[in-house]
Amino acid sequence: MSRILIVEDDERIRSSMRLALEEEGYAVDGVGSGEEAIDRFASEPYELVLIDLMLPGIDGFEACRTLRRMSTVPVIMVTARSDTHDVVAGLEAGADDYVTKPFVAKELAARIRALLRRSRHEGEASEVLRFGDVEIESDAGVVRRAGEEVHCTRTEFRLLCELANHPGKVLSREQLLERVWGYDYFGDGRLVDVHVRRLRTKVEPDPASPRFILTVRGMGYKLVV
Amino acid sequence: MTLTFAIGAFGLSALMAGITYFTARQTFLNERQSAEQRQAFANAALVQNALRSPATQVNQLIESVDTLPGSRSVLRTGGQWYATSISVGQSAIPAAERALVLSGTPASQRFILAGSPQLVIGVPLPAVHAAYFEVFSLDELAGTLRQLAFALAAAALVTTIAGAAVGRWASSRALRPLGYLTEAAVAIAGGQLDTRVDAGDDADLEELAAAFNQMTANLQDRIEREARFTSDVSHELRSPLTTLMATVSVLESHRTQLAPRAQSALDLLDGDLRRFTRMVDDLLEISRFDAGSAELSLDEVDPGELVRQSVAASAPVDADGVRGPATFPVYVDPGVEGLRLRVDKRRFERVMANLMENATLYAGGVTKVIVEPQPPAVAYAPIPATAIRVVVEDNGPGIPESERDHLFERFYRGIRAGQRASSQGTGLGLSLVAEHVRLHGGRVWCEEGPGGGTRFVVELPLGPADDGDHPDGEHR
Repeated sequence: MSRILIVEDDERIRSSMRLALEEEGYAVDGVGSGEEAIDRFASEPYELVLIDLMLPGIDGFEACRTLRRMSTVPVIMVTARSDTHDVVAGLEAGADDYVTKPFVAKELAARIRALLRRSRHEGEASEVLRFGDVEIESDAGVVRRAGEEVHCTRTEFRLLCELANHPGKVLSREQLLERVWGYDYFGDGRLVDVHVRRLRTKVEPDPASPRFILTVRGMGYKLVV
Repeated sequence: MTLTFAIGAFGLSALMAGITYFTARQTFLNERQSAEQRQAFANAALVQNALRSPATQVNQLIESVDTLPGSRSVLRTGGQWYATSISVGQSAIPAAERALVLSGTPASQRFILAGSPQLVIGVPLPAVHAAYFEVFSLDELAGTLRQLAFALAAAALVTTIAGAAVGRWASSRALRPLGYLTEAAVAIAGGQLDTRVDAGDDADLEELAAAFNQMTANLQDRIEREARFTSDVSHELRSPLTTLMATVSVLESHRTQLAPRAQSALDLLDGDLRRFTRMVDDLLEISRFDAGSAELSLDEVDPGELVRQSVAASAPVDADGVRGPATFPVYVDPGVEGLRLRVDKRRFERVMANLMENATLYAGGVTKVIVEPQPPAVAYAPIPATAIRVVVEDNGPGIPESERDHLFERFYRGIRAGQRASSQGTGLGLSLVAEHVRLHGGRVWCEEGPGGGTRFVVELPLGPADDGDHPDGEHR
């Protein structure tokens, strides 16, 4: 049973979310502030964290950044606004995905399931993908650059594998959203954009002028070897 | 203003020039005439004296008359005409003048001879039964007058141009503030509420500009407060809605354990909770439009695919929550192939969902959706498409022409009052359609369908294929 941590200051929302997610088969704990969340996360293992962006004390962005420094745990942010800035800022703080209040419990459960999937290529023969001085062990979930391990979140890793599995081929945002996040056609393309940006800081020699993960304007992204 | 000044300057200078010319002309002519009269009478007296002596040779006499340059003498005596010049004889003198003088009255007259103006002065000499005429050429005077007229015309022209220039300068100076205000008012009417007028160092304008700016600030404040209120209310409603939706979903998963009456109650609760959520979403969306904070998140997509996906996303859901196929065909014109549309997918999906919902509520559902290029593609004369039209047709009762423009107003009821299905629709659907489409720079309207139903037409501009550099995606 996967353990989920809910960080939400509104006690009623926290309780109702716990009820709904327990109904979906998860073990759920709830805390009311970012500080508590970090303490709790440091002492107990969780497989996924849901963070509300509007929190008393340190806000959701800061809590997310702190969690990111501690772990590659999947993080879904819960936002009252889908305004461009909040969502992008949350993703840049390290969130893997977001949901907007009020959300349908079943849809949230689907987002959680998609993030908890280990790897798309589960069960496939172990293979090692390479480009430049980057080495991806898709089986072990390890990325190395110049022999040194690079810490990627599970979403970043899946995105990298998806691109590296189709070298030279343009993958549209819709395709990447579907394969990495499990979204349909109307998924938010900003998820892809921000994650690509994050990936570039990890695998590109110069993230500002990428050599491997290229933007194909109006089309999507492609990885060149 | 410029024209008025020019016309005024022209009128005045023309009047002045006219008066000057005619006064000068009259004076010159009068002076000339009296000078010449004096000479003519002197010469006439001379001739009369000479004719008294019978020995006088008339031919010699006429030659000996001392005349000014350009004047010629004509003498009639003894029933005969004598002249100093071959070209100016008796026939050159106007008949009326001749008759008058010969009947004994001195007279003068101006006339034209061979294209040049002349003055003739006739003096009857009854004592010797003769008449003396002297013809003076006015050529020189005419030349002077021509020069004068030319100079005056030139002066009038210069005055007119100067008048126009002054008018232009004065009008631009006087009207510049009005221009600023007009520009500002147009900008504000267009939704740019942060527009302000700068009075610069113009003291006259300062007060007006201050009042104008104050008015705009108040207006902006009020509109923003209103939009913020709607937005705040919607936000505040989201928290309890989140709790409600999560708890209802828990109840839903235990539905089978509930008594039938409780199940019915749960269904009602669930249905209206969805509607309430939609309303809050729509209100929040509309408050963003009102506050001017709605932003496009553009993607470049295949229009046909976009419409198919949007239609599929709103297709009916079965009991297990699985979307079925759409109940109507989507026809994509071959001319759309290869075109790329820059669009906010989420907003477009809402547009289609609202149009389909509208058709379901009032017209028995959509019968056909068409995606076509605009202008239409024709094989023999390929014109590049500038827009994409998405047509949503139904077979409903149709909408009278007078109602069509109002359909896109918020909470518009019109003829549909009372028709509205009680548990669905928020009353904001079509107004949001209009706002979403407008944000894309497109238009939406409705017209009569071929079968008497209604066609809703959404036209989105294709725009330039690539109008900027967004290295990290097309999102703004």
